[in-house]
Amino acid sequence: MRARLLAACLLAPALLLVIGILIVPLFFDLAMAARDPELRDALPRTATLLGEWDGRGLPGEAAFASTAEELSQAEQEQRIGALAQRLNFQRAGLRALLLKTARADLAPPYHETMPALDARWGDPTVWLVLREARGPLTPLYLLRALDLDLTPSGDVAPVPLDQAIFRNLFLRTLWMSVVTTLLCLLIGYPVAYTLTTLSPRWARIGIGLVLVPFWISILVRTTAWLILLQRQGPVNAALQGLGLTGGPVQLIFTRFAVYLAMVHVLLPFVVLPLYGVMRRIDPVYLRAAASLGAPGWMRFVNVYLPMTLPGVAAGALIAFMLSVGFYITPALVGGPADQMVSAFIASYANETLNWGMAAALAALLLAMTALVVGAARLVVLPMPRGVG
Amino acid sequence: MRLLPALAAALLIATPAFARDLTVIGFGGGFQDNARKDLFQAYAKESGQPVKDDVWNGEMAKVQSMVHAKDVEWDVVMVEAPELVRGCEDGLFDKMDWSIVTKAKFAPGGTSTCGAGAVGWGVALFYDQSRIAHGPANYQELWDLQKFPGKRLLRNGAKMTLEIALMADGVAKDDVYEVLATKEGQDRAFAALDRIKPQLMFWKSGAQPLQLVGSGDVAYAVGYVGRTANAVKDGGHYPLMWNTLLYSYDSWAVVKGSPNAAEGMKLIQYMTDPKPLTALAQDWAVSPATTVVANDPAVRAKNPAMVANHSDEGLFIDTEFWVEHGDDLEARFATWAAK
Amino acid sequence: MTRFLLRVFTVLVIAFLVLPVFVIVPLSFTSGTLLSLPTPGWSLRWYQDFIASDRWMLATENSLIVGAATALVATTLGTMAALGLFLGRFRMRGLLMAVLSAPLVVPAVITGVALYFAFARVGLNSTLAGLVLAHSLLALPFVVVTVSAALAGFDRTLLRAAASLGAPVHVIFIDVLAPLIAPAIASGALFAFAISFDELIVALFIAGPEQYTLPRQMLAGLREFLSPTICAAAVVLTAVSLLLLALTGLLRSRET
Repeated sequence: MRARLLAACLLAPALLLVIGILIVPLFFDLAMAARDPELRDALPRTATLLGEWDGRGLPGEAAFASTAEELSQAEQEQRIGALAQRLNFQRAGLRALLLKTARADLAPPYHETMPALDARWGDPTVWLVLREARGPLTPLYLLRALDLDLTPSGDVAPVPLDQAIFRNLFLRTLWMSVVTTLLCLLIGYPVAYTLTTLSPRWARIGIGLVLVPFWISILVRTTAWLILLQRQGPVNAALQGLGLTGGPVQLIFTRFAVYLAMVHVLLPFVVLPLYGVMRRIDPVYLRAAASLGAPGWMRFVNVYLPMTLPGVAAGALIAFMLSVGFYITPALVGGPADQMVSAFIASYANETLNWGMAAALAALLLAMTALVVGAARLVVLPMPRGVG
Repeated sequence: MRLLPALAAALLIATPAFARDLTVIGFGGGFQDNARKDLFQAYAKESGQPVKDDVWNGEMAKVQSMVHAKDVEWDVVMVEAPELVRGCEDGLFDKMDWSIVTKAKFAPGGTSTCGAGAVGWGVALFYDQSRIAHGPANYQELWDLQKFPGKRLLRNGAKMTLEIALMADGVAKDDVYEVLATKEGQDRAFAALDRIKPQLMFWKSGAQPLQLVGSGDVAYAVGYVGRTANAVKDGGHYPLMWNTLLYSYDSWAVVKGSPNAAEGMKLIQYMTDPKPLTALAQDWAVSPATTVVANDPAVRAKNPAMVANHSDEGLFIDTEFWVEHGDDLEARFATWAAK
Repeated sequence: MTRFLLRVFTVLVIAFLVLPVFVIVPLSFTSGTLLSLPTPGWSLRWYQDFIASDRWMLATENSLIVGAATALVATTLGTMAALGLFLGRFRMRGLLMAVLSAPLVVPAVITGVALYFAFARVGLNSTLAGLVLAHSLLALPFVVVTVSAALAGFDRTLLRAAASLGAPVHVIFIDVLAPLIAPAIASGALFAFAISFDELIVALFIAGPEQYTLPRQMLAGLREFLSPTICAAAVVLTAVSLLLLALTGLLRSRET
């Protein structure tokens, strides 16, 4: 019993760290994907009044008045920006409308003077947008992250085609990660196997060399590719020298460059677990199969391959999870059509300051990752783990 | 156990210092290196106040988090015009203290509620003359894929790129923003971009146009005139097509809640005064917003690459337009570029 | 025949993995200002730039301090956690391991955003302490897995024997367990240092200019300056990394 207590004490600090600064904040962040505080924060009275309005026609004079007054006050106190951005996100042009109204010198009756200032105040759909933003929750960000939009009447509709980017983005991220993982497996598997066939000294050297890029900064490796893939660079020179191309080919800022750089970065992560598993496979089984008359390929497919599956699964999982989170490498060597979701999350968080979208995209990305990992576990777990 | 002092040292470094030096943040590059000498450290010497400087990339999130957490580490920042307007509305920047900073010395349009004009900057078309004897001279020619083959490099964003597309499509400079404000105008700009898309590449960082033109990866680029002019000074052959200039002004602003706000205003007053600015203009191709320096014939002669020398040929990037339409158009551009 | 082809393939792949980085070395000695080959001439000016630059030196200093502190914190917490899991024989071991592995599963960007908000509440953004905590979080799973793997082969009966002979807890730890897991702990510490040394994405969110690490500064360099100083910095960074690799190699050979 005392041992258990001691063990728990030993475990506690690490658990507290992970739960305290990762898991709990994660929940709060993801919650931001659904929160809608801006209107309530900037125009509290208006928010309440809009809640009492039934949404038909236009709201009453009280709502107009409250809007005009609170807007003006918010603008003077420099509190209007967040609301302007939130509303402009839902419908373009509302930012200008809010600012114009906030700075104008209006007098009652507001339900006449405001539309006189700008016709949009007479448009019921504008008021419906405001009403929808009264919070505290909204599905807007999650919908937009799936290329759907909220109509003023509260229905869900697809976003116009020239603004629909996220579904493709998620599919592309998934696709690129899968392709990269497969490439790493196809290349890494034979390499890991060959390493196991070497003498211990050569095997150690081989693994050491495979580990070398693992220990070199990702940025350094990416910079190297930036230089190598230039039009007048070594790779193009080699291609022309070998007679494979007639003139310089554009290699940089292409999907090819992204795959090249990502495989370069992820390959060691795949080779290591594969090698670890393959090393422990007792050659006895293969010899047994051979002595029973099985040809080479059958020995491979029926005996060797299944025994290496835990290594394959581990390597594939690591490669997939890492490539899903990557965005610096594709951002540096790829074109605009090669960017991954993480780049957009970072951009919404760091540049545009749209936390709602950042959180919504993050939530969907986590869900996608969890699904893939879960599915992989289901596939791998029932498989015979092999012996040893 | 030698680790204990190291850990203590690390923790000591971690605690924030309270009496913090005046900190000014710029966009980096050659401008900042020269500004450090001619503006920041010159002020430090004259006032006895130590001044630190650092770079940012316009990430307003950092400023926002500082202000909201009431832990402001930056005092004076250089901001682009749209971010200045937004930041002012969001309460991230202090209103300019016109009792310390003399409003009258600035050119028209060089001041705003929360900012004082720092420098003008611009982008224009250029190419490497050591590789290409004769390149496109204006945007219409840039769109001529037959006569001028090769890759083109534009900025990875709607701002500036859409104006260029409209001008290439034949819209007069003075009408660009009027046209771009309409849906038809926006569609027209994207249609024009579609025509050259197979040969179009994009830059994200200011250093890329020169690097890519210099290495031969692109044939023609629209990039920052300051950096290009400096590369020419260092011996490069990059003719700038001045009639393709798009320019704007960056401003100095004081971050709200800064413990050094008053000192920051004094720094801004100094940095926009004629003497320090003239010194800076000798070392780096900038276009000051301070009228007397911008009009100084000696300064203009020494710096033919100054934006002010060519502003009548160029297009002033409309701040209000981008504050209003920015989100929308940037989103549409991102979608378009990703196809 | 197959064996020969496989070996050729392996050599080619290893060349693919290792050689590209070496293109940076000649570029760090270029006399030109562009990042292109062939170089117009040779010069040491970029190394001089690197050493003279306050920013690069601060970044190097930060990277070393944060790396060392991360190694300390992550190794301590991780080893304790591994020991706890081993001794405790909890039924929910799987779940506990999953929680401890969370930093691995969550994509780096999302971790960055989460930490940014968590730290903003307690003022840990733009501090070295915050960075150390963040990197320790990221390195923790590696240490736990490494030390747990070493413990996995341990025969528990030895522990019971020692206890039954009346040995107190700390003696059991020092004389029985520690020698077994010491190489794993050392490996874990080196791993933690390497992870911190190379970490970029979380640093992008929570580090201010005073806390820039080498990778963060390199990214700023790549985005802003694109001068060969980045290559000089890269060579230095790589040299340190290879040194660490050699150290792990030595430790591992002593282990087997």
